[in-house]
Amino acid sequence: MNEQTLTINGVTVVYRPGETILEAARRIDVDIPTLCHDDRIEPAAACRICLVEVEGSRLMQPSCHSKAQPGMVITTESPRVSRNRQFSLSLHMADTVSDRTIAEDANPNRLFELADVHGTAGVWAHVDSPRQGRPLDVNRFIHFREDRCIGCALCTRYCDEIEGVTAITLAHRGALTTISTADELSLTDTTCELCGGCIAVCPTGAMTEKAALAYGKPEKELEKIRTTCNFCGVGCQLDLNVDRAANRIVKVTPPPPGTTVNDGNLCVKGRFANDFIHHKDRLTEPLVRDADGVLRPASWDEALDRVVEGLQGVVTRHGPHSLGFVSSSRCTGEENYLFQKMSRAAFGTHNIHQCAAT
Amino acid sequence: MTDRRREEVLIRIEHAGGLTAGVSNDVHVGTGVAEADVYGVATFYSLLKHPNEVRVCQGLSCHLAGSGEKIDALSAADTPFLAAACLGRCDEAPASWDPRGKNSLPDVHLTAASDDLSINLAGVDSLSYTGLTAARDNGADWVIDELEVSGVTGRGGAGFPAHIKWRGVANQSVTERYVVLNADEGEPGTFKDREVILKRPHLVVEGLAIAAHTLEAHDIYCYVRGEFGAVRDALKAAVEEATAAGLLDDDVAWHFVDGHGAYICGEETALLESLEGRRGMPRMKPPFPVEAGFRGAPTLIQNVETIATIPAILARGGTWFRKLGRTEPGTKLYCVSGHVPRPGVYEAPMGISMAELLDMAGGVTGTLKAFSPGGASSGFLPASMINVALDFGSLQKVGSMLGSAGGVVLNATVDMVEAALVQAVFFEDESCGQCAPCRIGTQLVRQALERFRRGDADALEHIDDIAWGMQEGSICGLGQAAALPLLSAMKYFPDEFQSRVSS
Repeated sequence: MNEQTLTINGVTVVYRPGETILEAARRIDVDIPTLCHDDRIEPAAACRICLVEVEGSRLMQPSCHSKAQPGMVITTESPRVSRNRQFSLSLHMADTVSDRTIAEDANPNRLFELADVHGTAGVWAHVDSPRQGRPLDVNRFIHFREDRCIGCALCTRYCDEIEGVTAITLAHRGALTTISTADELSLTDTTCELCGGCIAVCPTGAMTEKAALAYGKPEKELEKIRTTCNFCGVGCQLDLNVDRAANRIVKVTPPPPGTTVNDGNLCVKGRFANDFIHHKDRLTEPLVRDADGVLRPASWDEALDRVVEGLQGVVTRHGPHSLGFVSSSRCTGEENYLFQKMSRAAFGTHNIHQCAAT
Repeated sequence: MTDRRREEVLIRIEHAGGLTAGVSNDVHVGTGVAEADVYGVATFYSLLKHPNEVRVCQGLSCHLAGSGEKIDALSAADTPFLAAACLGRCDEAPASWDPRGKNSLPDVHLTAASDDLSINLAGVDSLSYTGLTAARDNGADWVIDELEVSGVTGRGGAGFPAHIKWRGVANQSVTERYVVLNADEGEPGTFKDREVILKRPHLVVEGLAIAAHTLEAHDIYCYVRGEFGAVRDALKAAVEEATAAGLLDDDVAWHFVDGHGAYICGEETALLESLEGRRGMPRMKPPFPVEAGFRGAPTLIQNVETIATIPAILARGGTWFRKLGRTEPGTKLYCVSGHVPRPGVYEAPMGISMAELLDMAGGVTGTLKAFSPGGASSGFLPASMINVALDFGSLQKVGSMLGSAGGVVLNATVDMVEAALVQAVFFEDESCGQCAPCRIGTQLVRQALERFRRGDADALEHIDDIAWGMQEGSICGLGQAAALPLLSAMKYFPDEFQSRVSS
């Protein structure tokens, strides 16, 4: 058996070699709070809220990083551990926006969510941080709000380790540590693919969607509607964040990592290319041209009859191979199958192609 | 497997004249390291970010010698300069340093040459290399056993037994191994490693050669503080001299790497990160460098002074060295600066008191009020503790530390609130920013002190909680010690804090 045991809060836990204390604790549903951790990313152990007591260690150990060892005796609930969690929350709050309403004006804020559970060590004087933003970044989608950044580097590590893009980096040091691009360029002048993953992993909304911020409604007041992205055939799940009262999609967020096929990731299209939904020029019903060439609304039956009439006319006049069918990678496999069937069986041509085929 | 092109990043930025627009891209093209990554690395280091500005030291010793007035005068005259955390020139306070200048150093006061000193700064730096000969003749086990008998501990500040590190590397099954010299001296009040290399470079070269021979390493990396160009040159010259004399193993390559202006790179794992071309942020431990250090291989990292004790230990025996000490083994280099007539580097038996050191340094200029026994990280002790033994164990017992033994002497004119603020500014400036307790905590401490100084009596209200978390939660020693100057000032000089509140 490739399994070993240790003790957490007096309970014997069977874990697999290589697991961290955090992972071992999850096996018995012991919740250890984290701020700078994401299971997909190498641990940084930078926020220090996940420190736990390990018998024999003078200092508490970061559970996100420390490997479980056979026979370890771990305590995740003690006055010392609690004091550190509360210290950590007061500390981070002193360095970011302390008014909860403002802090949650757009994205959720994990600091306050954790404070609800673990409490704080009190409200400390606000740190007048010299951290710099990137006011000259003109990209359309992603906004960095330096006053909310807690320097956890989840965004830069995500960009580097998950996307393999490394468009953003931790820059400067100490109190000046901030998130920057090379030479503070706009994201659109860097290797950035505008996937928005930095927004998804940010625990405090320092990375945020520009359009949703302008819309002005906090994410917690929006309803999440799970759907499948139809920009390509991968089948990424995404959550439409809907303002019911206004019947409007405000933004798109990825479902949490580990829950769907896309594991918390989206690409620029899935995340940001949704402004067509409410665009004034969007077609919402079939249109056909009158005899004088002017488009007018029609029923689906009428419109499809018109298509059939036109295509069959071409076949009659020039033969079936004068037709060609091009399908879209936005279609599902089933839809693509039906489309080639239609091309071959209904119109008698094998001139059928799909844009993702080459 | 680390990408070795990455190791060129810092030197390429330096050769480009520091970080200006476009340099990140050039270095990216040359090394394959992402452009943003290069930018992130460059902005971490003061000498890459600001390669040309004259530095004016605002460390404690320089502050006591009037650096504040110097800085005010330069500001008033619109002279471009940078206020620097510490320049390692506490003996010539108030110090300044010009990256493009010669920056000659005055002769520093030293202990007179004696046969009973392990380093003996005033002695003759010869090419005898008898320690290396002994190491070759007697083998690795003998060398490490002698180190164990000698009881020599790390003189960089941690006081970790050297033989454990050496044996740790020797016992690894991996054959790719490295020896790294930590000459990134930067603790305010400390300028001993500088003097060891300037005065006794062959002791350092011999010590390194012994380490490489004993541990079967084929590469020695000397990481020298960026502001210490002359020190690097002296070390290089000694290696060339020893090589020309045929004293060194020819299967060992010597590499010299300049620091780029970041105190934290004196922390051994931050130093390794810097050597590998990254931001100097300390690594999580374990694994320790003896197991996975430079390029992930077993690595011995030792401070200059520690390495310089090795030749004498092997030439004269571990027992001889051990007996030199009073309370702990060996002699030790103690720096003394601040309010003393003869600031200098004094070698004395481990466990000497500040009272005795002051005798060497010519007494106190004025009346003694307090002293910092081991650099900024050791906090302050009151004049009444002048007879405490200055060793690792005794100072730890009184809530301080020997650290790098950078003693700073404060006379009765010093305002302890101001002194605590000077140290708080240092730690805030030099925090790497990786972990929250240090990055945010050092800001909270400095800002609380400034508010307190401006008359906000409640400004220090949460300091105990903040200091507790910094000590418990910071990744490395910098953050763990950063609140100590303030805490010790409040503990030993409560009246000075109280009087501010009442006035």
